[in-house]
Amino acid sequence: MADLTIQGLTKRFGGVTAVEDVNLHVADGEFVTLLGPSGCGKSTTLAAVAGLDRADGGRIQVGDRVYFDAARGIYLPPEARSCGLVFQSYALWPHMTVADNVAFPLTLRKVSSAERKRRIEEVLALVEMERYAGRYPHELSGGQQQRVALARTLVYRPAILLLDEPLSNLDAKLRDRARAWLAELRTRLGLTTIYVTHDQIEALSLSDRIVVMNGGHIAQIGAPQEIYEHPADPFVADFIGTTNFLPARVLGEASAGGRALLELADGQRLEAVAERPAAAGSRVTLAFRPEQMHVAPPGARMEGGSVLATRVTSRSYVGGQWQVGLDLAGAALRLEARQPPTEDRLDLWLPHVGGILFRGGADVAA
Amino acid sequence: MSLAMSGPEAPPAPPAIPRAVPIQYGTALLVLVLVTGPLLPVLLQSVLDGALYDAEYNLTLANFARLARTEGFGLVLLNTAALAAMTTVVAQVVGTLAAILFGRTDLPMARLLSEFFLWPLYLSALVLSFGWYAVYGPAGYATLLWQSALGDAPWTLYSLTGMAVIAGVSQAPLAYIYCLSSASITDPSLEEAARVSGSGTFRTLWRITLPLMKPAIAYSAVLNFTIGLELLSIPLIFGDPAGITVLTTFLFNNGISSPRPDHGLVATAAALMLAVVCFLVWLQGRMLGNTRRFITLGGKATRPRPFRLGGLRWPLFILAGLYILATVIAPIGVLVLRAFTAFLSPMIPLAEVLTTANFVQIFDYPVYSRAVWNSFVVSLVGGAIATALIGLVAIIVHRSEFRFRGALHYLALFPRAVPGVVAGIGFFYAFALLPGLGFLRNSIWILVIAFTMRFIPAGIGAVAPMLLQVSHDLDRAARVQGADWWTTSRRILLPLMRPALVGCFTILFISFFKEYSTAIFLFAPGSEVIGTALLQLWVQGEVGLVAALATIQVAVIAVCVAAVRGIFGVKLHG
Repeated sequence: MADLTIQGLTKRFGGVTAVEDVNLHVADGEFVTLLGPSGCGKSTTLAAVAGLDRADGGRIQVGDRVYFDAARGIYLPPEARSCGLVFQSYALWPHMTVADNVAFPLTLRKVSSAERKRRIEEVLALVEMERYAGRYPHELSGGQQQRVALARTLVYRPAILLLDEPLSNLDAKLRDRARAWLAELRTRLGLTTIYVTHDQIEALSLSDRIVVMNGGHIAQIGAPQEIYEHPADPFVADFIGTTNFLPARVLGEASAGGRALLELADGQRLEAVAERPAAAGSRVTLAFRPEQMHVAPPGARMEGGSVLATRVTSRSYVGGQWQVGLDLAGAALRLEARQPPTEDRLDLWLPHVGGILFRGGADVAA
Repeated sequence: MSLAMSGPEAPPAPPAIPRAVPIQYGTALLVLVLVTGPLLPVLLQSVLDGALYDAEYNLTLANFARLARTEGFGLVLLNTAALAAMTTVVAQVVGTLAAILFGRTDLPMARLLSEFFLWPLYLSALVLSFGWYAVYGPAGYATLLWQSALGDAPWTLYSLTGMAVIAGVSQAPLAYIYCLSSASITDPSLEEAARVSGSGTFRTLWRITLPLMKPAIAYSAVLNFTIGLELLSIPLIFGDPAGITVLTTFLFNNGISSPRPDHGLVATAAALMLAVVCFLVWLQGRMLGNTRRFITLGGKATRPRPFRLGGLRWPLFILAGLYILATVIAPIGVLVLRAFTAFLSPMIPLAEVLTTANFVQIFDYPVYSRAVWNSFVVSLVGGAIATALIGLVAIIVHRSEFRFRGALHYLALFPRAVPGVVAGIGFFYAFALLPGLGFLRNSIWILVIAFTMRFIPAGIGAVAPMLLQVSHDLDRAARVQGADWWTTSRRILLPLMRPALVGCFTILFISFFKEYSTAIFLFAPGSEVIGTALLQLWVQGEVGLVAALATIQVAVIAVCVAAVRGIFGVKLHG
């Protein structure tokens, strides 16, 4: 096991920059998730660590071994890196049985046949697939294939484990179970792990830290709770969890941590705590989670929050609760409610604390 | 948990020079020598005033002027162009009609008919020519039948038209395959839309189906024109006796048959032919790019609803049956029959002439039995060697980081643009020129080398599509786990390519087994193959032996095609 250092990683495909100046340190035994939409550069970063793509600039080091250093012209081919990579497609070799698949990396390392047998049994037991050793990949379900792919990677004790959307090919139910199993396994193994996904729930539930990527850059690095509660920018806020955005104008200047008075496009006013200072007259966007908003009962007091008049645009039953679409001063909001609204108008209660204030107008959230 | 406790194991450190380097560069060098080896001497000889092997010579362009002044050379070019053009017209008309009739209508027994229709594709034009001679030649079975009933037969094979019909019929399957595969990937709703809006069967065919096939028709037309230019057997058998010379027979007569060959002239004509065919192949490539733009619109391969022929169903079936009978079954059947008879004529009862003497004679003469044996060795061993080389080239081109893989790909596909006659002359020069290769010159290995060069593109065509379907993740996974490129290729890619390699070997076996145009420039006493023996026997007028030898070739190819399609389910075309 070892720690991973990525410095100034840059990769271009033709004229398109896929990853630019990515810097990241993953501690020994840490589980870090690269999270972002497709095309954000997370898979490119992973491929550069594994050595499948040769990056154009930067430096990658695992433990004391330099995998890649553009400045010194160092590039280790993938076979010399001892990374473990689990592919999204699992990439099990269809012409080999489960046992042969798992044996392949051991044969390459010239492990004796007795030791090989012992380790194949051990690792298949670890992923609970020992009964399937003689099967061919096409005789296994998706979830079983995924376990074999993981076993094939763990069996040679890689210096670092790379997982490329390993759960995305499973159906929803299976994915929940596989995620729980993976979470348990990671605490048992304690391997340095990079996990790539576009699924925020996987990222939040599995990771020590999350790296949110956007357009080839790192948007934010932090613990799951920190990312969720204190997103660095509207993109992160939007990508992690459902977020409502409300464009507004600052009426009174607020210092960092102070309370700002905001005015919406239709003249309604509300208060919000500003994490960063906001200048009077500047345009801002207030972001908050659906679970932070509530329907205000008629004649409710404004204590601890603001009450705003909205128009109901849609209502749909989503099982157990209702999803209500609202129009507030031209901004579309989504609210979760126990009861469907009976009228076209609805009063909304927004807390002063908990929302996040970003600089910039409506376009920042687009 | 010991997995968690133990530290990482490094894979074996990579050597200073990875194994991939010598393998990739070695293969590329081999292909380079194989492809340019025969071409350079031809091109060089075309600009020399003396023979290549002379002590001294000068660079000159005089050969081109001399060729232009050669008496009758203008007519040779004209004949060549006319034959290729007429062949193309016949092949395209027949092939397109067959594609629509067998592939797109409810014609009875369309599958069976199309199987027969494709047969000329598997056989050599040489054998087909003999078959046509046996049926429609001056003393042919059909000719004699006609004469006894109706007087002089109105046809002759010894004319440009006659040759174009034989060549066109044997090349029609190519047009058929391209039209059919284009029809199978066009969106069937295009036709359905026309029918729903009230267009009848024939109007839909004429206005929608046929125009959609246009790119495929155009592409296969250029392909057939190119093959028409390269034809050797048909002009040799039917053109020469009638005094009709084309470029290939010009090269053959002046280069091989002539006691004092004029090397400058031969090489110049060969270079000229090479240039024309190169242009045509380049044109094919461009058109293929264009047709892809046309036909990938539909995407999903769906079988469109067949057109209803209605009352024409049976009349058209009889017509198609007659065509198959006249152009495929009769030539092959009569040729086989001729092999088992001492003399074949409609006037003499068959029972009186049946004999196996022809086969006995073939195996009695060491020359002919050796030719059969050599053909098997060349096709089996040579096919296996070539398959290995082609598999390696395909992996390097499609699955490696080899720096010159693009150039290697281009080089490996280049022999498409080298006519068999030119390759034959080129290898002849190359082996005459290079010292130390004399021992190869009189052995069958020179044929293996020349055939391999000729059919690399066909082999790549059989292997590459399958290789491209194998997910890149499968070899990446092996690389990440510590296997270098060569181990990955051997342990992962080659086993996965096995069906494609079987298909490639079969195609090469059949191609090598029936090849003659390159071989006639290269064989020596002792290294005859069936193709060269056929031509020799033909010149001697041994029609019975020709038929017997041809029958052996047809039988072997038939068994081979049936076995591969039956056992492995490998598609040999399309």
